[in-house]
Amino acid sequence: MTFTSSISVDTRDLSAADGLLILAGRALDKLKTGDVLEIVSDNASAQHDLPAWARLNAHRWLGTTSNDGRWRHRIEKGSALRVLTDRELDWGNRGPIKDGRFDTKHWLLGHAAQIRQTAEPSHGFAPRGASVEKGSPEFPFDVVDRNQAWSEGAAEFYEQATAGHWDGSRDIPWSQLRPLDEDLERAVCQLMTFLAENEFSALYVPAKWIARIHPHFAETVLFLATQVRDEARHIEVFVKRALANGGGLQFSSASTQASLKTLLDQEDFVQASFMLSVLGEGTFMDLLRYIETHAPDPATREIARRTRIDETRHVHFALDHIRSVLRSDSSCKAKLYRAIADRASVLSGMKGLNPLVEESLVILAAGGLSPERLPLGTKARIQLYETMHENRVRRLTAIGFADREAEELSQLHTPNFM
Amino acid sequence: MSDVIKVGVVAYDPKVVTIWEGIKEYFAARAIAMDFVLFSNYDAQVDALLDGWIDIAWNTNLAYIKVYRRTRGNCGVLAMRDVDVGFTTKIIAGTKTGIQSLRDLKGKRLALGSRDSGQAAILPVYFLKQSGVDPAKDMTTIRFDLDVGKHGDTGTSEVEVLNAVAAGEADAGAIGDQYWARALSENLVDNAKVRAVWTSPEYCHCNFTIRDKEDEPRFAQWTDALLTMDYNKPAERKILEMEGLKRWVSPQLDGYRVLFEAVDDLHFFN
Repeated sequence: MTFTSSISVDTRDLSAADGLLILAGRALDKLKTGDVLEIVSDNASAQHDLPAWARLNAHRWLGTTSNDGRWRHRIEKGSALRVLTDRELDWGNRGPIKDGRFDTKHWLLGHAAQIRQTAEPSHGFAPRGASVEKGSPEFPFDVVDRNQAWSEGAAEFYEQATAGHWDGSRDIPWSQLRPLDEDLERAVCQLMTFLAENEFSALYVPAKWIARIHPHFAETVLFLATQVRDEARHIEVFVKRALANGGGLQFSSASTQASLKTLLDQEDFVQASFMLSVLGEGTFMDLLRYIETHAPDPATREIARRTRIDETRHVHFALDHIRSVLRSDSSCKAKLYRAIADRASVLSGMKGLNPLVEESLVILAAGGLSPERLPLGTKARIQLYETMHENRVRRLTAIGFADREAEELSQLHTPNFM
Repeated sequence: MSDVIKVGVVAYDPKVVTIWEGIKEYFAARAIAMDFVLFSNYDAQVDALLDGWIDIAWNTNLAYIKVYRRTRGNCGVLAMRDVDVGFTTKIIAGTKTGIQSLRDLKGKRLALGSRDSGQAAILPVYFLKQSGVDPAKDMTTIRFDLDVGKHGDTGTSEVEVLNAVAAGEADAGAIGDQYWARALSENLVDNAKVRAVWTSPEYCHCNFTIRDKEDEPRFAQWTDALLTMDYNKPAERKILEMEGLKRWVSPQLDGYRVLFEAVDDLHFFN
């Protein structure tokens, strides 16, 4: 009997375990059911190995001939699919690389560029654009809607974040620390303690959401991962500053903990992002600028400067994210408003910022506890609160809240800053 | 008699329960009432089939032959796996032993699987005798009698045969081609140490046996549903993968003839 082979592959003296089966399998992948593959071989065991392998994989064994001193084996491809997917693979897209850079925002190629309205639970951890096998398990991600998870600017902010990473052990001028007046050092240590606890919440909140956002929205997840990394570094340098100059970590107040816990308790990604990053980290930008301005030493100044740059990126990402959300669902504005009002009522027992922190802000700006300079510090602190409020209102109107709503929301914001 | 079709299955591995829960669900979705009954060995399952406790037995070839003999050939077969057709035994040998044909086995050490394994013991001994080499006289045999009663269908004894040849504890060994192909695909074989030197004639392996072939129409709906299971559908693929097949096929009874001859020749049941 003679068969016309669709393709022929020369496997030389390869044995089954050394690659013959891979060559045969890859050749069959290119064929359709019913097509015939010819395998030319010089390996004596192939005549025993190939029929067993073909049968195991439900291909039809058509036999072996041998004339010119070589074996010619023939296999008819069966119908059992190796991978159960009906989507063609992308091929031939080339990423636009400019000046040696492949920017993340330019990876929107082929199927990877198709952002679904709702992500498929069974696509699980497969990168967007992969051809996912049917029968894959469904993953319990909560955030699966494009309206909630997608942000146009995430890829760009991710690029900025990876380029902006710094080293908390090396990039702060630790060696320039000199002993300070004890009251001033204590104020710095109290502020560092406060900053560190706030940044723990800013680490845990995105970390919680990373695990709940569908990987289809990879840009958002990757950006949040950089945010987690940033916050880790912030916690590191704030704690180090409290310990570096002969002081130590100071008080953590129940009211601060209560305020931060409401952020972690949020069960809606958009609301959590709005509260943490637009309102909380936005307010922190002004706080960090204040510390930078009044820092009594180069290390504290550099810490405040570097962390503020990172926080600014988080705020801009969140503004972009919330703007995207509101563009696709304007009713979300009312939900955000309600969420802030609800948080305010939960925290209604909270009279204001932890007084020890508030006083530390005054002492920092006054340069110590001297009666002559304290009024200056008090004035600076009052000015800080006004700046924080003005900037919150500005950000809220920028994402589409009316002036009056923005004013009210800013007033409702936690006195704890975050 | 209950309308529920009871299928006997030997529990050679915990996954058997998962497989058969899946198959039961598959039939339930087609409004066919089926349940499975687990046995610890084939002899008990054969007795249960003949006593009418179960309707269908998922049998190895050796268990099928037992039913055939005890029903004087009146039993019937409903279906088999694709891999049960065209089954062969491979003689594998250490590359440094110089063994290239069955004749070269004389004076050597041959590893065999469980004494009740069709592919790794009964048939290779028979085929060798047919070829003029008698394992009982012409060589030393090393037997791995593991999971006896489960008819070598567990593969554990074949694993030992392959290991013994690879380690040089045996010069050659007999294993089923399914385990051989799987071991080659899964990188369990070093071809520099072990390779296949001989392939036996084809024979058949497992099948769904019923007591009386006259009853086949009673199970027609069940058989038809079984034969339409599709490897290219996710839920069905899972079951088929665990049971080691791509599709169920109609019986090819000619493939059992050689095992009938072998058990007679070796006086296996005496």
